[in-house]
Amino acid sequence: MPNSPTVAIVDDDEAVREALGDLLMVSGLACHKFAGAAFFLAALEDHRFDCVITDIRMPGMSGIDLIERLREEGIELPVVVLSSVREEQARKHALALGVRAWFTKPVSDEELLTTLGSVIGEDLGPDVGS
Amino acid sequence: MTAAFLDAGPRDEADIAELASESVVVLDAQGKVLYWNPAAERLFGWPALAVRGRRIVDMSPAPGDEELAWAQLFQEGQWRGRVHRRTRDGEAVSADVRRHLRYDVEGQPRDIVEFAQPAIHGEARQAESDMISDRLMAASWEIDVSPAAAILARIGEGAGLADEAELSELHRGLVEAARIVEVNERTARLVGGNRGRALMAGQSVAAFWPAGSRTILAELIVEAASAEEGRTCRRRLASDGILRDPLVTVWRGAGERPGRFFVAVNGAADDDRSFLFLRASEARYRKLIDYMPVALWQVDASRMGKIYAGLRASGIVDFDRYLAEHPELVELAASTVPVTDVNRSAIELVGGAGVQELIRPVGYLFAESPDSLRRVMIGRFSGCRNYSEFMKLRTFDNRVLDVRFSVTYPEPLIELDTTIFSFEDVTGRLHMEAQLRQLQADYSHAARISTLGELTSSIAHEVNQPLAAIVTNAEASLRWLAREQPDIGKVEQLTARIAASARRADEIVQRIRGMAAKQAPDPVALAFEEVVQESLLFIRHEIETHAVRVTTSYARGLPPVIGDRIQLQQVVVNLLMNAVQAVEGQAEAERVIAVAVATDATGSLLFTLRDRGPGIAPEHLDHIFDGFFTTKAQGMGMGLAICRSIITAHGGAVSAYNRPGGGAEFCVVLPRARSAV
Repeated sequence: MPNSPTVAIVDDDEAVREALGDLLMVSGLACHKFAGAAFFLAALEDHRFDCVITDIRMPGMSGIDLIERLREEGIELPVVVLSSVREEQARKHALALGVRAWFTKPVSDEELLTTLGSVIGEDLGPDVGS
Repeated sequence: MTAAFLDAGPRDEADIAELASESVVVLDAQGKVLYWNPAAERLFGWPALAVRGRRIVDMSPAPGDEELAWAQLFQEGQWRGRVHRRTRDGEAVSADVRRHLRYDVEGQPRDIVEFAQPAIHGEARQAESDMISDRLMAASWEIDVSPAAAILARIGEGAGLADEAELSELHRGLVEAARIVEVNERTARLVGGNRGRALMAGQSVAAFWPAGSRTILAELIVEAASAEEGRTCRRRLASDGILRDPLVTVWRGAGERPGRFFVAVNGAADDDRSFLFLRASEARYRKLIDYMPVALWQVDASRMGKIYAGLRASGIVDFDRYLAEHPELVELAASTVPVTDVNRSAIELVGGAGVQELIRPVGYLFAESPDSLRRVMIGRFSGCRNYSEFMKLRTFDNRVLDVRFSVTYPEPLIELDTTIFSFEDVTGRLHMEAQLRQLQADYSHAARISTLGELTSSIAHEVNQPLAAIVTNAEASLRWLAREQPDIGKVEQLTARIAASARRADEIVQRIRGMAAKQAPDPVALAFEEVVQESLLFIRHEIETHAVRVTTSYARGLPPVIGDRIQLQQVVVNLLMNAVQAVEGQAEAERVIAVAVATDATGSLLFTLRDRGPGIAPEHLDHIFDGFFTTKAQGMGMGLAICRSIITAHGGAVSAYNRPGGGAEFCVVLPRARSAV
């Protein structure tokens, strides 16, 4: 699918990563999954992504570190945070850095996909359960 | 005739002294004159009625000498020497005196008898010849060898022919079979232990006769048995630690009682003062025991001892089983083994009105715990030196006490059959211990909750992850199903993932529930390395978030320890969290924690935890295990205090050091569980 939008998923938890990947796949999005921020940054060298979904608490480089790094390097990539904890300070900081959305796990698929759709500029249907 | 003399009252004795040509004075223990005979009046010039009640020291021109003599008398029991005494006319008379200290039944000094003669200048008195001392009396025995008649006959037949081994076997048997009919006081004192003459009667001669010279006694008996009536057979023995070079004389009793022999042993006691010391120390110990804060019962179990000997001889080995089949023997002990003495604490403990109430068969002590008596009997039968257990004791006023009961069994041949029971009331202590245990449990529970509090965000994160996966997988499944051609294969895969994540969430919840639950400590045998692994799981997230590297090393063949899993986990989690906090500020390469489980030199379990943090400030080293000591802004300072309280309750120890290369080291030592084989 060379033309379908590609989303990067950064989460140290494999189960979460795999589940998200499947949700995006069924919604017609291509995705790449990364177990840590560092892997993603490395992949950024020769890949183009339309959006990145990242966790905050991760061993090594945290989600906040990653966002800061992207801003520092001037990489204009929409970021959606999917955090497992409520951290108000980190949230404010992230939004100030231009993060498109901050969700706390577990997130509803509709909310996430709607946000992704608006970020990428596509309608991600079909919806279920509504 | 002898008996009549001994039974005579003090007045009669005084009458005898009235007639003596020697000065006889009786003084009380304070040195006041009680009695003064006519010869004393003649020698010292004072009439009896003038000196009665006066202190003898006041009559001395040299009171210092008199006091010294007095002190020696009380130390030695007797004193001889020259004294000077003022006469009625104010002159001083010199006299050579002998003083004897007499004791009452309690062993306390009763009075002093002083014999005196005018001093003959320049002539030292022959000391020993003029008094009959205990050491010159023979230790005498009357024995009955009729139970050994067969052995005597056998020795008679084979005289000179039997080989040595057989002969010495026969000699041994002879002394063993011979029974004591009667002994005199000296014998009882020398070899009878503390039970006195009455209890020696009827026992085997071998039970009291020194082992080293039993053959010689047997030879003398054999010799006397064949000698004509009235002839004595004697032999000098080597010193045996009781008497010095004793001379043993044996002769046959006269006519009508065949089998009766008399034995007399002459010799000086190896320690001349032993009797006096014994008497004094006996009195001291009697007093000590009476006032001892432990309740003591003296019990005469001699009858049971004989029954046990009989059972042993008949081949009974498994006494436990025997008692199960013969419960009447326990009842017999309860109803016949008499208490012979008790101390004050004993009376207090059971609430009796006096000694007499407690001097009866031991059954009343075991009314509440009949099985304890059974165990006491088994201990005795199997030759234990002592036995102890916790049991319930019903007092005379119907209270039930928790007591620690201990028995000291008699040592064969030394104390005969005096068994000592002691009871210590631990009701209050047990109650306090229970309260302390509860407090400790509450305390450590509170600490666990507080630890969980510190971990809240980690826990939330950890539980949230599988939940997020479940929700997302379920929603993705629905989307797969909602397609025009539902992808059942995909849904199957996602459903399996949902189940796996749900199980993972459940495990996390269980782990936290264990930590959060308030439950009584449950000590079980456990592998400490498992506790460490579980604890690492618990704070896995903290470790990962802070990018800390944890190395683990578990020695092989680690001993199990007895402990409460949750509490021990709490300790390890606490120490690990401290270590994580210690290294989190370090450069990433230094964020290392090394955990090891091994055994120490004594075989105890040793858990060490080392970090490469900044270490412990030297001035804090002595306080870090104290309650409310903290270096953290938000800490209560209870973590390490609780670690120590938990480890101490487990019989172990926890300590902290600074490592030479930097960083801190915590060591926990736990006793190994006794292997239950």
